[in-house]
Amino acid sequence: MNSASLDGAEEIRVLLVEDDADIAEEISAELKSRGFFVAVAETGGIGLEQALTGQYNVMIVDRMLPELDGLSLIETVRQNGGRTPVLVLSALGAVDDRVSGLKAGGDDYLTKPFAMVELIARIEALLRRPDDTRQTVLRVGPLVMDLIDRKVKRDDREIELLPREFRLLEYLMRRPGQILTRAMLLEEVWNYRFTPQTNLVDVHIGKLRRKVDASGEQTLIHSIRGAGFTLQSSD
Amino acid sequence: MLGTIAVQFSLTYTQMTSFEFRRSGQVLNGEMKLLLAMTPEHLEYVIRERATDDLRLVVNEAGIFTASHQPVAGELRVWPDGLVADGKLHNIVMEPEEGSPYALRFLAARAPGGHIVVLGRSLHVLDEQKLMLRHASLVTLVPIVFFALLAGTWLSHRALTRVEEMHEAVDLIMQGDIHERLPAGAEQDELQRLAGSVNRMLDRLEQLMRDMKSVGDDIAHDLRTPLARVRVGLERALSGSQASSAEALRSVIERAIDNLDQCFAIITALLRLTEIDNSKGRAAFARIDLAELVRDIVDLYEPIAESENIDFSFHCSPKEISVYGDRDLLIEMLGNLVDNAIKFTPEGGRVQISVSMSGHHPFIAVEDTGIGIQPDEKHAVLSRFYRSDKSRHIPGSGLGLSLVASILRLHNAELKILDTHPGVPEKGVCFLVLFPTSDLIQYDE
Repeated sequence: MNSASLDGAEEIRVLLVEDDADIAEEISAELKSRGFFVAVAETGGIGLEQALTGQYNVMIVDRMLPELDGLSLIETVRQNGGRTPVLVLSALGAVDDRVSGLKAGGDDYLTKPFAMVELIARIEALLRRPDDTRQTVLRVGPLVMDLIDRKVKRDDREIELLPREFRLLEYLMRRPGQILTRAMLLEEVWNYRFTPQTNLVDVHIGKLRRKVDASGEQTLIHSIRGAGFTLQSSD
Repeated sequence: MLGTIAVQFSLTYTQMTSFEFRRSGQVLNGEMKLLLAMTPEHLEYVIRERATDDLRLVVNEAGIFTASHQPVAGELRVWPDGLVADGKLHNIVMEPEEGSPYALRFLAARAPGGHIVVLGRSLHVLDEQKLMLRHASLVTLVPIVFFALLAGTWLSHRALTRVEEMHEAVDLIMQGDIHERLPAGAEQDELQRLAGSVNRMLDRLEQLMRDMKSVGDDIAHDLRTPLARVRVGLERALSGSQASSAEALRSVIERAIDNLDQCFAIITALLRLTEIDNSKGRAAFARIDLAELVRDIVDLYEPIAESENIDFSFHCSPKEISVYGDRDLLIEMLGNLVDNAIKFTPEGGRVQISVSMSGHHPFIAVEDTGIGIQPDEKHAVLSRFYRSDKSRHIPGSGLGLSLVASILRLHNAELKILDTHPGVPEKGVCFLVLFPTSDLIQYDE
């Protein structure tokens, strides 16, 4: 799985501000197992101090913290010019709570309880803000997507895609090697925020996979049990 | 009451006074005019003769005086104090040596011969009238006040009794008897209407409490089941009664995670329900093209229908049909309906969405050829956690239709559950979403 740092050389530094020791321990262990450096702060006050003094690539901030609440912490960091991406972690999941979290300066929002893979996937998404401004051709292994001609080729084989399949593949190709959860795909590709009770996303991915990975070819779209999907080439 | 009587009294009083003053002014001036037109001799004769004349009834006092106020003729022998011979009316109180003082209205004018003619009209009638008025007022005042007091006492006693009854009812409610209601009667007066409103509020509260209790029971049941499964599974793994190979443990953990995920799904759906039910704001409401909305959903669900071998189609009237609503919520609502339709329709079945107008009401119909809903279950399926016996084996939180109902409530829309083949429940169901007519909706012909 993708556990390497961004460019494979530099260590990724994560600041985790969470007062629940068990959750902090679990998250920190998982991140460390993926090769990240993790600093844990148990109160908002300590978290703020560390955020202002240390150098971090990403921050995970719980909303309800002793001393200083998560949102005030993020606001203070932003007022001091800190641009580190922040994932807000909260038990409050209503739209208003999400909005206030994002308004305070958070970059993404995850509601408790969450699956660890979802957290990791979102952290990776924050770290790999796709550089999609000028790129017109995306490449992942043998797969090439021309965004202007709206054509997709695998080696010399042209792949015919429906608009929604194109959109889905583009999203996957912009995040190679990254786990993308079902919720992320529904939110980001279709812009919907609800939990379907059918295996909706799997069916979409399945259809796309049949077109991308023809029989006998190396599998590019992988399902990860209990997590989601990833587009990865072994090349 | 007393104020009204006082106002009425003073109005009559002043009206009467001004009428009497005007009348005596007219009489005195008229008479004076006649007298002044006479020769001095004739005038003196007339004044002298007045003592026997009928005229005395109208002009009560008359006299002729010299310029120095000495009496010449007539029964008025003394120049009234303060009278000026200016041809204007003067009210003067005469104080005789015997008897009580009395008021007269005098008019004095110079006659051609140099004498002064003085005419006086008594205000006695006015005084009499005033006295009568005062007596009449006093006599009527007593019974009026008496009856008013009586009526007031009776009314306030009645009101107080009812307030007392309300107090007793409220005390009973506070002691936990939530079925007790205030005496409201036929809601003919304000107090009864207030009691009626309070009763309706109590009905609503009672309903909410019942709902809350049933939600509590449902949560307990629906969360306890998967949690119990997790516990049993983990306990067995720990006791090592089953093969404790890494593979077996892994499968136990996977099952535990699946069960926990089900709990989380239920909690998430419940929170979402509360969020929608409590959302007062319709801030995100805008004009939404229904056909476009449905097209998006069809695009999303087409592959899954295809994979289940279900014929999925979409019909839309050629007119543009729009509603006023929250796009995200309507997508969620429609997603839930289509999700259900596909879930409960067996392979080879059909799911059809149509958008059209019913009178002035835009509607969306989601029709399937699935397992259908029994007539007696049509209301129940909208309640939280309801799973019909036929659907229990199909995964889901049992909250999808409650979410649909909540979202539609927020949009003042109505959900109808119809049989596609009346009398044949196994032949599927049609969910009809009927939107309200809105001024903001425009219909392009």
